[in-house]
Parts: sequence; structure tokens; C-alpha cells
Amino acid sequence: MAAISSAGIRPVRAGARVPDSRHAIVAEGLRKEFPGGVVAVAGVDLDVRAGETFGFLGPNGAGKTTTVRMLTTLMRPTAGRATVAGFDLYRQAHDIRRSIGVALQEAGLDAMATGRELLTLQGRLFGISPPRAERRATELLELLGLVEAANRRIGTYSGGMKRRLDLASALVHGPRLLFLDEPTEGLDPASRQAVWREIGRLNRELGLTVFLTTHYLEEADSLADRLAIIDRGRIVADGTPGSLKATIGGSVVTVGVRRERLEDAATAVGRLANLRELRLGDEELTLFVKDGNGVVADVVRLLDAAGIVVGSVAIAEPTLDEVFLRATGSRLEGAAQNGGSST
Amino acid sequence: MMELTFSPATGLAAWREALRTASLLGAREARTALRTPVYILSNLLVPLFFYLVMVGSFETFASRSGVTNWEAFLVPMAIIFAAQGGSAGLNMVSDIESGYFDKLLVTPVNRFSILIGAMAADFLRVTAQATLVLLMAIGFGLDFATGVPGAAALVLLSGCWGLAYSGLGFAIALKTGNAQATQSAGYLFLPLMFLTTLFAPREALSGWLGTAATFNPMTYLLQGMRSLTMDGWNAGDLGVALLATAALGSVSLTMALLALRGRVR
Repeated sequence: MAAISSAGIRPVRAGARVPDSRHAIVAEGLRKEFPGGVVAVAGVDLDVRAGETFGFLGPNGAGKTTTVRMLTTLMRPTAGRATVAGFDLYRQAHDIRRSIGVALQEAGLDAMATGRELLTLQGRLFGISPPRAERRATELLELLGLVEAANRRIGTYSGGMKRRLDLASALVHGPRLLFLDEPTEGLDPASRQAVWREIGRLNRELGLTVFLTTHYLEEADSLADRLAIIDRGRIVADGTPGSLKATIGGSVVTVGVRRERLEDAATAVGRLANLRELRLGDEELTLFVKDGNGVVADVVRLLDAAGIVVGSVAIAEPTLDEVFLRATGSRLEGAAQNGGSST
Repeated sequence: MMELTFSPATGLAAWREALRTASLLGAREARTALRTPVYILSNLLVPLFFYLVMVGSFETFASRSGVTNWEAFLVPMAIIFAAQGGSAGLNMVSDIESGYFDKLLVTPVNRFSILIGAMAADFLRVTAQATLVLLMAIGFGLDFATGVPGAAALVLLSGCWGLAYSGLGFAIALKTGNAQATQSAGYLFLPLMFLTTLFAPREALSGWLGTAATFNPMTYLLQGMRSLTMDGWNAGDLGVALLATAALGSVSLTMALLALRGRVR
């Protein structure tokens, strides 16, 4: 793939307003209520700093896509206020659209066009002159490894190629802020890794601010400088992945127990000396402990003494799933697998 | 990277920009249409088939109704079939379903340019189809009363009607975002084509059919078209046809704009 160049991308107009360069997104009390009283986003506060990759993590239906649609001017919020790229969401929507790149959950591409045609048209729609739009299309096709497929119709592209082309079209006008809504949804592991590498590279080499929604823990953990966890339209935790995991501290022990003995098991392990918190799942107990040394043996001993059969025991360092579990009472991985429509 | 420094265009510059982007989007629609030739062919062959069958089968019946030039009487029917045969708005639905419509909405393009671009492409499609139908009809022996300038006027009038009619398709496409709904809506308007003078002169329509034809704007369009194909230049008939087209256009464009406003913020 080609080296990244941003020279000559940006058409600059005279008499311009210079936005606040420190905060890419600031939102206060952003809310979206649909007809029928369905509240998709119940008052979200965000402060995304310029130059960072910000993860927006949550299960399907948590309100991620609705938040993105509001911030990208595709949907009018019911309440709240926000500035995006330094521009007011209500009064300066036009300026916002000029300043952001957007790749939505469904790669919005014209199947009848070729990759090159799509990128050139996208550039022209942003006011770039025909020769510059052509050059920019070539540059992006090289950047994202799509040169060989450039003159093929997009309908013949694989899922991974479509994602990369969608990403390229979001970059045509050289935005400083990039919204990526579930950028690796539906991709195989190899394509997912390739997209991750691209996002990381765009952030590092072009200094792009990236606002990334995902329900993949690994994706948020590996890409995000900071993240917010959203559940049922509300932000339940935010910080760096490290600081969020540090709030859990120590280790996490997961014990498999039959459902009808869960309460008894909880009472039995409640006597552990270094236990910080205990959560009951469907057929498992999750124990947040200060120190993992020797804890497995203690757990098994206590449960055995109470006459409870232990199905499995696992000890691990905390992950974002445990952060989510602690904040909401359910696991993100389970919630993500349960699916549901994106809101 | 350069600074983000923009101001939206205003006044005349805004109009120029809206036209520029509408033409870009119209060209894209036209390119898509050209890449699906089967769609254009079916819109061309069906009206031509009807034309040839009707010309061959009902000439005697027509002469009893007082129609002296049956081929010239029928050719507007074939052209209107071609104009209304394609379901306007289907490409837009496809864009909505694929997410490309949202992609356009997050560009600084004026919302109305998206609609105007699509409608302009439909105008081009209809005028191209009308030209081909007309050329084929001439090939099959059509005697055209107003010659080449009249044929050009007929094609232009057909394009304007196609543009006015397409507004209904775009309104439904934008309102529903659903391909089946948009396509079935096309069939809803089909009966309107029969409640007019499409196949018989007005004098031959009796009772409720005659009344329905009086209120159907297509009757006046056909009157204007037939003045070109059968009688010669008639400013009154052409004026009435243009008025009927403008009336349909203002209703359909209003509906399309309202639907667009409902879909975008």
C-alpha cells in the first residue's frame, strides 16, 4: 500500500471560521426519542479530544448508531446540544458535513459504479476540481490497496474490499474527524485485522480523530485511546481501556455452577477474604478479587464445603467485558451475541 | 493537513453549486441506467409492441370513430407508455436501501440537488425513449404532421410530462424507502392511463369515462401531442398540454419535496 499524503486535498475557502481545535466532539445531554416513546439515546455526554481514537462500545441496540447519526447530522436530536469539529450541530450542519468523514454500518456504496468512479464523484461533490478528484481517487485506491480493482464495478467487490472502499470515500475530502460505525461488522478475522491496521495508521500518520463504534471488546481495547461504554442509551463508564480495567483491579474469577445452586454458591464464596464484588450470571458466578494468588483453591474449598459441585473455574485479568459487567450487570459478549437491531 | 476552514456558499453561488452537484448526480443516474440496458429495452419494446398491435388491429374501428390518421393518433400512446413504464424512484430506493443515500446526505450537497439530479436523469431517459419510439414509428410508416420541428417539440413535451410524472415515484420512494412499494405505486397510476383518450377520441368516450377523461390531465397532454402528430401547429392545444403538465408537475414535485424533507433533517 502507498504512503499517505494529504497534500492538496483540502479546498480552503476565504472568510472562514476556524473551529476549536482541541475538542473534536463535545456533546451534552444528547437524547433521541422516536415516535411511540422509544428512547434510543437517553442523554449522552461526550468529550472527544482532537487526534485521539475514541471507542464507543456497547451491545447491539445500545444507542451507538443513533448517536453517530445525530453527530453526523443525519438525525435531529430530541434534546441536548453538541459541537462536532468545532461547529454547532444545529446551526452549522453544513460546516460539519464538510469537516467530517463518515463510514456507516452499512457500507453505503453504489454497486453499479466502479471504485474509481465512486471516489471521483465523492470528491466532486465536496467541491474538488475534476483533475484533483481523479488524483485523489488514485491516491486513496493506492492507500487502501484497491488499485487492481479500481475499474471494476463495486458490486463485484468482497465484503472487506467494500469496507476499505467505504473508508476511502470517507477520506476523499481530507477530513480531520472520521466517524466509523461498526467498521468491521461482518468481516472475517483477516479482513478485520486489515481494517484495524488502516484505522491505526490513519490516526497515527494523518493525525485523524477517529470516533469508532463497536460491540467487539478486542476492537475497542486495541484501537481506542479512550472509550465510553453505552448501554440502553446511557453511558455507563468512560476512560482509557487501561484505567477502566484498573477500576476492576486484581483478578476476575468465573465459576460455573448449576443454576439452582447459584444463591448457595454466592453465600459460600461470600466469605472469601479478598472478595471485592460478586455477580450472579445465568449459570456462573463472577468474583472480582483484589489478589488472584491462591483464590481458585479457596473458592473450590468453600464450595466443596457447602456441598456444591463446581462445573468450571477460570481466573483472568480483567477485560472490558468485566467493566461492562460491573457497570450493567450483564456481559457485553452475551449481549452482542443476542443481537438485535442497531439503534 | 490544512485547516478546516469553510463557509457555505450563499445567494447566486449557492444556486450555481446546487446545479453543479445536481448535474453530477444526474450524470451518475444516467450512467446507472445505461449500465442496465434491459431496463431501457423493456420500456422501449412494450410500448412499441402495443403500438404495432393496435395499429394493425383497430384501424377499421378507428376510422369509424372518425380518426383519419390512426398511426399518428396512437404514437402519443406509445410515447406515454414509454415515459411512465419505468418506475421512477427505484434507483433512489436502491440508494436508500444500500446506504448510499445516507452517504450523499453526509456530504455538503444541497438536499434538493439529490432529488433534482435524479429527476433530470429521468427527463433524459424519457426524451431518449420518446425519440427512439418515434423513430421506430416513422420507420413503420408514421406520417408526422409537423415534421422534424414538431417531432422535437413532441419529444420535449414527453420529457416534461415524464419529469412531472416521475415526481410521484420519487415522492413514494422517499416516503417509503421500499422498492416493492415504489414499484406497486407505479401500477396504481396505470388506470389513469385508460381513463383518458389514450385509445379513442374524446367523442367516442361516453358516460363516466367521458367525465373522468375531462378531469384527467393526461387528456390535455394527448390533445397537445396529437395536434403535433395529426393536425399541425396549434398554440392553444400546446398551451393546454403544457398547463396540464405544469399542474401535474407542481403537485408531484411538492409531494416529492415534502417526502424529501420528511426523510432528511
